[in-house]
Amino acid sequence: MKIAVLGASGFVGSRVVEMLALSEEREQVRPVVRSFGGLARLARFALDWRMADATNETALVRALEGCDAVVHSVMGTFATIERSIAPSYRAACRAGVKRMVYLSTASVHGQAPPMGTDERSPLSDRQATEYNNCKVRAERLLLAERKRGDTEAVILRPGIVFGPRDRWVTGITRDLRSGTDFLVNGGLGICNTIYVDNLVHAIRLALVAPATGADREAFLVGDSESVTWADLHRMVAEELGIRNSEELILDVPAPRFLVTARDRFNGLHGHPVTQALLPKLPRSLKRSARAILNAWPEPRVPSPWAPTVGPAPVVTREMAELHQCPVKLPGEKVRRLLGYEAPVSLADGVRRSVAWLRWAGLVT
Amino acid sequence: MVGCGALAEIYYAPVVQELQADGLAEMSVLCDPDVSRLKKLRTPFAMAAAKNRIEEVVAAKPDLAIVASPPRFHAEQTIALLDAGISVLCEKPMAATVPEAEAMIAAAEKASVPMAIGLFRRFFPVNRTIRDLVRNGNLGAVRRFEISEGGAFQWPAQSASFFQKSASQGGVLADVGVHVLDLILWWFGMPERVRYEDDAMGGLEANCRMELSFPGGVSGTVRLSRDTALQNQTVIEFERGWVRCAAAAANEMEIGFAGAEFAVAGQVRKTEGPRAPHSLPGDSSHQSFARQLRSFLVAVRGEGPVEVPGPEGIRSLRLIESCYRQRTLMEMPWLSPGEKAHASALAQSVAEP
Repeated sequence: MKIAVLGASGFVGSRVVEMLALSEEREQVRPVVRSFGGLARLARFALDWRMADATNETALVRALEGCDAVVHSVMGTFATIERSIAPSYRAACRAGVKRMVYLSTASVHGQAPPMGTDERSPLSDRQATEYNNCKVRAERLLLAERKRGDTEAVILRPGIVFGPRDRWVTGITRDLRSGTDFLVNGGLGICNTIYVDNLVHAIRLALVAPATGADREAFLVGDSESVTWADLHRMVAEELGIRNSEELILDVPAPRFLVTARDRFNGLHGHPVTQALLPKLPRSLKRSARAILNAWPEPRVPSPWAPTVGPAPVVTREMAELHQCPVKLPGEKVRRLLGYEAPVSLADGVRRSVAWLRWAGLVT
Repeated sequence: MVGCGALAEIYYAPVVQELQADGLAEMSVLCDPDVSRLKKLRTPFAMAAAKNRIEEVVAAKPDLAIVASPPRFHAEQTIALLDAGISVLCEKPMAATVPEAEAMIAAAEKASVPMAIGLFRRFFPVNRTIRDLVRNGNLGAVRRFEISEGGAFQWPAQSASFFQKSASQGGVLADVGVHVLDLILWWFGMPERVRYEDDAMGGLEANCRMELSFPGGVSGTVRLSRDTALQNQTVIEFERGWVRCAAAAANEMEIGFAGAEFAVAGQVRKTEGPRAPHSLPGDSSHQSFARQLRSFLVAVRGEGPVEVPGPEGIRSLRLIESCYRQRTLMEMPWLSPGEKAHASALAQSVAEP
């Protein structure tokens, strides 16, 4: 089987390429990257790569020709997340690709979804986090395209994907070292982890699963273990050799996120409909809107004469909600229809992630 | 300007424009097989002739040529220019192979024409200060050094040549490594023992690690990456102190003194001694790059030495080739046992002739 990977230079995409290139089956893998620079890590292997922008259908057709399947792991801006769907799906159809596996996210259900959430739960694209909305719209676009095309489409919704080169274990490590690691409300919320190798395992199952049960379906996918955020932080700390992590990790109350006029404006400004309309608006109107916004009172800046304090944790809305997630997202569907069982334990995943940090010389 | 890629556009074009403004030089010929690249470079140099082949540059007879093409073309183009009596500033790495570099040196000697190698970090005030500290022994003898440099590949490459075995003799070692190894050789001389490992598995390495030992007991490690952000610093421990600077820093460093509570960190400045009224800021990275070309202009006019001649440039190339000859696969602790076995097989298949 020849598999193309769109977004091959990213965190997940590059591990997909690495695992396929080093697999027992020696599947043929074709990384597709947006620029020559994206080849730096992938060029460790002698691979049949292609260069194509994920929003350029013509270039993608050439990149996908001869492939049996494609893994869509494109990141980029919010706009790219949505704009890459139709061109890549249509290109897959035109190139005769049999199946596309699309990497969505469990965040389509929100960072702290309610109890009872599963793949059938309705999705909203009016969530507070714009990334979630983009991924919801991307899934909808893909399923709409699927109605018109022949390439099968399978959607995976991983949760907190961690592993070598990730933002999670690397971030916890950085914060532990700088004294800014924190847990919101004790970090008692569920952390829906998935070690990157487990995700790649799920991708490989999704590539070959029978169409009945896989095509047009979305699957939540995660590690076997159910852990809290506090558990994950403690595991990382222990792997780093930090024994007193309870004393080091700051316990912060969940902040109230006030939505300011500027937030509302930024949210509206970033929306694709607004972006489409903006060029049509008169310049004077845009200038006036900007002037009003600039005149709006901003939160007071602390006095420069205040005593020097150390670095403080930055609690974003995303993190606050994640740390209060009440549910372990179900793995029943992916188990039943794709035969997925996580091959790597959470503990082993954390161990390998920290081992990578040591390998890169980022911790001693 | 032979080769009009990103290097020519981002680094050389502004410097040559400065020289033009000072009346010191004039861009007369641009050469690249890619018409779009020629068009791009014609913007700042509208009066320059646009050529596609090196023979056309030779025929145009400039006083000095900058060779900034992919390394596999360096030897052929440089020798053609030298044979025609044209002075050459050849970008690093000097050539794709040691024999090619030797041929370039021989051509420069035969033609009695100046040839310099573009190892511009030798012009950084920080690196010159380290050289002085090592030579003069102000902080005592060197004990150990650790150098790490790397991050996600950011260079706006205009072709895939950086990542193709057919076009490039190596990965990160042959790229960033040339600068780092050149400085090490300049500071400490030739190592007597080298251990080298990288992560190439049938392709070109994105990460590598070296351990070097020198006569007199100096030892150190070098870690390079074009995959992930490393610590990005140079630390050199002396008998009576240490120096630390950020990777590729031109004019800022930290100097510590054994037993002292505080270290000194700040700008490296040009000084005429303690009784001079004031010191001057040391060159930035861009100014150092400009200084390299200005210095070579002086050499071409016969008014000064070539700061980094061919016999200096070839030394890092020799060390790199010796590393590749003894390469072993880096331990990659995130790979499964099965993956490690396949990775070893892939690395081995490349190592075998």
